[in-house]
This record gives sequence, structure tokens and C-alpha cells, in this order.
Amino acid sequence: MRALSIALLLSAALVPPAFAEEAGDWLARLAKADQQQRFHGTFVYERNGSFSTHRVWRQLGADGKMSERLLQLDGAEQEILKVDGRVQCIAGGMADQVEGAAFWPSRTLDPARLQSFYELKMAGHSRIAGRQAVVLLLSPRDQHRYGFELHLDQETALPLKSLLLNEKGLLLERFQFAEFDPFAEFDSSSLLPGDACRPVRARAEPVSVKAGWHAQWLPPGFELSGVVERKGADDAPVVFMTYADGLARFSIFVESLNGSPVEDARHQLGPTVVVSRRVTAPEGDYMITVVGEIPFGTAERVAVSLSADEGVVASP
Amino acid sequence: MNREALHESLSAVMDNEADELELRRVLAASEDAEMRATWSRYQVARAAMHKELLEPRLDVAGAVFAALDKEPVPARRLGAWPALGRVAVAASVTLAVLVGVRFYNEADATGAQLAERGAIPASVMPQVQEPAVLAGYSLGEVEQPQAGRSAQGASEWHQQRLPSYLRQHAQEAGLSEGPLPYARAASLENR
Repeated sequence: MRALSIALLLSAALVPPAFAEEAGDWLARLAKADQQQRFHGTFVYERNGSFSTHRVWRQLGADGKMSERLLQLDGAEQEILKVDGRVQCIAGGMADQVEGAAFWPSRTLDPARLQSFYELKMAGHSRIAGRQAVVLLLSPRDQHRYGFELHLDQETALPLKSLLLNEKGLLLERFQFAEFDPFAEFDSSSLLPGDACRPVRARAEPVSVKAGWHAQWLPPGFELSGVVERKGADDAPVVFMTYADGLARFSIFVESLNGSPVEDARHQLGPTVVVSRRVTAPEGDYMITVVGEIPFGTAERVAVSLSADEGVVASP
Repeated sequence: MNREALHESLSAVMDNEADELELRRVLAASEDAEMRATWSRYQVARAAMHKELLEPRLDVAGAVFAALDKEPVPARRLGAWPALGRVAVAASVTLAVLVGVRFYNEADATGAQLAERGAIPASVMPQVQEPAVLAGYSLGEVEQPQAGRSAQGASEWHQQRLPSYLRQHAQEAGLSEGPLPYARAASLENR
């Protein structure tokens, strides 16, 4: 009997999928906790050139709807209040362009799907915000996305720390709680927005238009999550498409140049890359801009592959 | 490397007036003992001017490197990313030390991405010869990589649009999902 259990232990230790399974279980717990677990706490966010501190309160209401309030503690008062995933009000610079925003459905973590594109691994234990945490590594299976290091609270499975790492292991951004309390009662007035929080009328349904453009190449696993058309800088229409692989996201913007002599451009802002590329279509030139938390090479390839629906040989 | 230029850059960094090039120059030379000694002397001079107390021989970077050398490498880290832990610790130390200074630490990352781009067949990568531009804190500081073009109108076009694109991209997730995308969106407004 003892020999059998030792053999079982050994075989479990020798088979890597056991790790992946455990990591998958943690992700599933995280997805569930994200919908149900109340907490409040203070966290820092840091990327190249920016460091900020924030407070968050979350509580499940009697009606079963999750209320969440986020408030930036330093600098400008950035604030947002959400109920049941819907934005109720926004304060600060973020509010500027929110009118007419589409608010596509929020992401739900799908461990099974993620495993196709990321290798999930447990990487020991850590201590964050004075709490015990387990470390989860999500390493990309190809060069088209970045890796994550997640530190999940042992008790609630909520992320206490999240690092985004490029292919060389360089840190692109850090999110980390300094204080986290999932159980203590807090005054419900903490969920009331400040005076500067401007109400937002989110549209009930995601707005979808026909894009008129399509990417002939997409990194594996990335799917279109929404398309809208908005007014851009010159009141000209801008097509805005977003894609996600369940964890990483990028957006594509297409805007007519109206004959402006604009060149291609590339930028990087912390974890986010921007690749702008000029394309020629029968009715005039367009600028295609890919924005996302993906490597430069991936963004370039997507930008290069985008073409107008009309007058183009249909891709299979 | 011209010592005098380096010292000027060092001085600029201390005064929080360094541009991207100067900061890179100083960071590149930060392992040079003479450079560190100069840094210490400048700090003493500055402290004297500001009547601050300071331990002049405090060599934070040296202590950090020593601590990193002593740190055991975790047994199970990412196979594909050797020494990830050390790099992450080093990166976080750098970030913590330099908070408040505009800095750019991704030259390395971009180099790798350029190399990666080079690996993609040239037929789909017509722009490989153009170097990537690092934008740091604000898009207003973006430089055009090539001189001698009618770049004025071109960069204006991008400057009018890219901040809005970035915002829309960040907000689409930041407003409907959890704290991390929200923080990403908020950080774009902290200029």
C-alpha cells in the first residue's frame, strides 16, 4: 500500500500536466472569486514612466450585483464606479472620451482556452500585502504575446500581484496590492462616488458595425471582440476593432488620411506598443494603427495584414 | 566616452533635467567605479549646498548588486526565461530608485523585438530598416526617426490621434474589467 502511494506520488511528480492542472484550478478559482468575492485594499501600478497608487472597494449587493469603486490616491482624482460590470460614473481624464463608448462584455477567464496559448505553471509561494500567495506563471507558447506572473491570494484566489514580462523576462508593468482585506466589513458609504464622478450612460447593447476591413493574419487565439465606428480628430470616421486571446488585447484603428503626407510610426508606452502603417486603397490612403499589450513584431504583422474588404482577393 | 559629457549628463540626472539620451548614457556607465565615485562626490556637494545630512560612502547600487549575487536562484523558474527572478528584482529596484524621473529602460527590449522582426520574412516586413521609436511618458516627446522629411505635418497628425487611440484601447477593457486594466487606463492620464 505504501509502495503504491509512493509510486503514485512519484508518477504525479514526474508528469508535468499535474502542474498545469493545478495552475488551471487556480485560474478557475480566480475566475469564480472575481465574480463573487468582496474585498477592499490599496494597490500600486507601475510601468515605464508612471507610478500610481489606488484604492479599491468591492462588495456583492443584496441583489446579487457586484459593486466596485476604484479611486486613484495620488495626483489627479481618477475614479470609477461600476455595478454589475457596468460603468456608473467616471472622474478625471478618463471621462473625456467616454461618451459613446461601446463597453463590450467583460472578459471571463477560461483556463482551458488559455492553455492553448500559454503554458501554465505553479512556481512556488510568496507573500504579498502580508498574505500568503501562490505564484502562477503563464508563459506564452509563441512569440506573439507576453508572459504573466500572477501571485494569487491563498485564501481567496484573487490576484495580489501581477507582472507583465516580455520575452527576455524584462518587467513591463507591475500591479501589486500593498493592503488587501477580503473579510473586514467596510462602510457602505465607501462605495459612494465622489462629487467629481460624472454619470455615464453605457449603452445596453454593444454597438457593432461592419468594419469594412479585415486582418488577413492574426496571432493564434486572438478573436475579434467588437467593432465600432467613431468620430476622430477631424470629425472623420475612425473604425475601431478590438481583439483578445482571453488575456492579452490589441486594438486596430483605421482612419482615412484625406491626402495628408503622414509617415508610418512606432511607439512604446510601458507595456503598450503602437504601430501606425499607411496603406493605399482605391478610394485613397488610410492609416492603420495597431495598439496593444503585444510585442512589436506581432503588432507589425497585424498592421501589414490588414486590408479593405472591397477590391481585395478574399482570404480563405 | 567623453568624461566631461558624461559628468554633465550625471549632473543633469541629479537635477532631474536629463533627457532620454543622457539618462541612457548615465545608466550605461553606472557600473563604472569612477563614475560611482563622481556620483558620490556630486551628492556630497549637493547635500552641502542643501545643508542635508548624508552618508557619502553609501553605495546603493553596489549593495543591490551584492544582494542580487547572494540571492539564490529559484529552482523552478521559467525555462524559457533564465534568471527571470534576478532580472525582475533588478528591474523593480531600478524602477523604485528612479520613480519620479523620466526614464527609459526598454532599449534592451526593443532590441530584442527588432531582432524578432528581422526573423520574419522580408516579404511581409517591408519596414524592418526603420528603427523603433521609444515613446516614454508623453507622446509630445516623440521623435521622428528619420531626418529630412516633411515630418512636421506627419508627427502632428500622429500627436493629434495617438493619445486618443491609446485611451480608447485602454478604456475599452479598463472600464469593464478589474483593477489592472483600470490602472493602465488611469496611468495614461497621469501626465
